[in-house]
Amino acid sequence: MDSNDNTPPVDAAYEKAQAQEWRHALDATSDHRAAGIASDPTEIAVVAEPVLAGVGAAAVAVTADLDAPPPPRQHIADPRDLAIAIRGLRVSYGSSEILHGVDLDAPRGGVLALVGPSGCGKTTLLRSLNRLTELAPTAKIDGKVLLDSDDIYGPKVDLNLLRRRVGMVFQQPNPFPMSIFDNVAFAIREQAHRRPTRTSLMPQVEHALERAGLWHEVKDDLNRSALSMSGGQQQRLCIARTLAADPEVLLMDEPCSALDPRSTARIEELIVQLAGSLTVVIVTHNLAQARRIADYAAFLLNGDLIEQGPAEQIFETPREQSTRDFVAGIFG
Amino acid sequence: MPVRLSDRIGYYGAWASGLFLTSVVFGIVAWLLVNGLRNIDWAFLTTNPAPGSIEIGVAGGIVAPLIGTLIITAMGTAIALPLGLMTAVFLGEHGKPKWLKQGTDTAIDLIFGVPSIVFALFGLAIFSSPSMVFLSSEVQTSGMATAKSYFCAALMMALIALPPIVRSTQAAISQVPNVQREAAYALGKTRFATIRKVVFPSIKPGIATGTILGMGRIAGDTAIVWILLGGAVLEPPQPGWYEPQNFLDFLHGTGSTLTTYVYFASPAGEGNAEGKAYGAALVLFALVFIVNIALGRLGQRKIGRQ
Repeated sequence: MDSNDNTPPVDAAYEKAQAQEWRHALDATSDHRAAGIASDPTEIAVVAEPVLAGVGAAAVAVTADLDAPPPPRQHIADPRDLAIAIRGLRVSYGSSEILHGVDLDAPRGGVLALVGPSGCGKTTLLRSLNRLTELAPTAKIDGKVLLDSDDIYGPKVDLNLLRRRVGMVFQQPNPFPMSIFDNVAFAIREQAHRRPTRTSLMPQVEHALERAGLWHEVKDDLNRSALSMSGGQQQRLCIARTLAADPEVLLMDEPCSALDPRSTARIEELIVQLAGSLTVVIVTHNLAQARRIADYAAFLLNGDLIEQGPAEQIFETPREQSTRDFVAGIFG
Repeated sequence: MPVRLSDRIGYYGAWASGLFLTSVVFGIVAWLLVNGLRNIDWAFLTTNPAPGSIEIGVAGGIVAPLIGTLIITAMGTAIALPLGLMTAVFLGEHGKPKWLKQGTDTAIDLIFGVPSIVFALFGLAIFSSPSMVFLSSEVQTSGMATAKSYFCAALMMALIALPPIVRSTQAAISQVPNVQREAAYALGKTRFATIRKVVFPSIKPGIATGTILGMGRIAGDTAIVWILLGGAVLEPPQPGWYEPQNFLDFLHGTGSTLTTYVYFASPAGEGNAEGKAYGAALVLFALVFIVNIALGRLGQRKIGRQ
C-alpha cells in the first residue's frame, strides 16, 4: 500500500469502511501467502508460524471500536508475512548473557517498537539484526534471524550486502565528516574501481534526501559540511544515507533521544511515512513515542521477550503483569 | 589571584616555567639569527663547500649539504610514511592478534628510545655485507659493500621517523568516534572502505603532525648521516648528478647534509669555520620551520565548507 495516503480516519463511517477494506485485503493476501507456503514445505517450519497468533483479527476488532486509539496504520499488507523472524536468539558478551533466547516477529511493512527498561537487551537485539553485534570481540551469538526466510547468520551470507538490506540509524546523529552530498553518495558508491560521477549519482542522492524530507532544506547547498547542520537535520541526513542503500528493513536505535521535541516530531512523521515501503524496527525509551508510531510492539525485560503483539494490545491490554507495570510507569 | 600560599607558589611556579622556556627558546633563535645571518650571503647559498686554508678547513657555501638534507628527508619520509600509516592502522583499527600488537607497540617504543647512532651502527653491519652491495657500491679490494649511500642512510632514517608518524596517527585514529565506523559498517562498507573514506579524512591533521616530527628527526640526525652517508663535506657531487641517467648513481654514492656540515664546520670538526656552522644551522632551522608551517596548514584543511 502507498505510504503517502495514510491520513488518519476522521469519522466512524470512514473508519469502518477502512477496516472492511483492510480485512478484505488481508484475507486476499493471506490466502495468497498460504498457497505460496504450501509449495515449499521447508519454509513452513520456520516461517509459517508467526508468534503473533490472531494478530489480524485483533487489529481489525480494535479498529472497529470507537473508543480505542487510532487504528493500526495500513502499512502491513499481511501480518503473517514476516520481514524478520527471530528464533531462539541468544547473545552474550564474554560470560554474561544479554539475550536468553528471543523469538520475535517483524511483519513486513510495519513499525515494530522494542520497549523495555535500560539494560534489557533491546539495543543488542536490534544490533543483532544486521550483525553489528559481532563487532564486539567477545560477542557470541546463537539462534536464527530469518530475513525473508534466510538465516542472516547462515554460512553463505554476504555481510556487506546484508547490511545494505538491513540499514541502521543510530542514537547519536553520526554523519561522516564529509559534505551533505558525499554523505549520501557514500552509501551508493560501490567499492568499485570506476567511481561514478556526481551527475550520475545525483538522482539517487536527491531521491534519498527527498524520502528523508531533507531535500528542500539542503538542495542549494549540498557541498556544505554535514557537521554544520543542526542535530535534527543531521539525523535526517543519517536516515537519508541509510535509505540511499535502498534497505528492506530500517533499524533505529532511539533515533530521537538526542533531539529536541520539534525534530523528534519530524522524525516520527518520517517513520510513519516510510513504513509500508519498508519495515521499521525501532528501539525507544519513550513509551509515548512508541504509542504514536508503532504498529507492533515487543516488551523485553532482563534479556527475555515478555510479550509482543499489536501496539494497542501491548499498551492498552497487556497480558503480562510486568508489561502492565512497565506501561503504567511503575518501573522503567 | 589564588589566596592560599601553596596555590600561589604553584601559580607563580607554572607562570615562571612558561616564561623561562619561552625566553630560552627565543634566546637561542635570536642568537642563531644574529650569528647566522651575518654569515649568510648569496654565495653561501649557491656554491659548494671547498677545502680552505690550513687554519680554516672549509670554504665556499652549502649547496651540496643543503641538497643532501632535502633528498635524505624526502627519501626517508617516502619510506616511513606508508609504513607508518599502515602500522598505525594495524595498531588502531585491527590490533589482532594481540601478541603482534604488543610486539609492535614495544618495537615502536624501542625505536623511539634508542639513539640513532645505534641504528647507524647496525645499518653499517648489515649494509656492508656483499649481498647488500646494490644499496651502495662495492669496495674493490674486499668485495664488501661500502654501506655509505643515500639508500643506506634513507632506510635507517625511515626507521627513526616511524615512531612519531605511528604514534601521532594512532592517537588520531583513537579520536575517531566509533559511531562513525559503525555507521559505515551499517551501510555495508568494508573495513578498508571505512578506514579510507571515514577514518582517514579525520586523521589527516594527526598524520601531518607525525610527518612533521618524523621529517624533523631525519633532517636533524647526524649520526646516521655520518656513518651511512659519509661525511663527505668537501666532495661536491659530480656535475650533472641531477640528470636522470646520473641520479641513480648519485643515490648510490656518498654525500653530506646540513647537520654533518655544521659539525664539520664547527670548531669541534676539521673545518673550524664557526661562522659557516652558524649560517648552515640557521638554514636548517629555517627549513624545518617552513616545513612545519606548510604541513600544519595542509593537515588542517577542512572537508567541505563549514
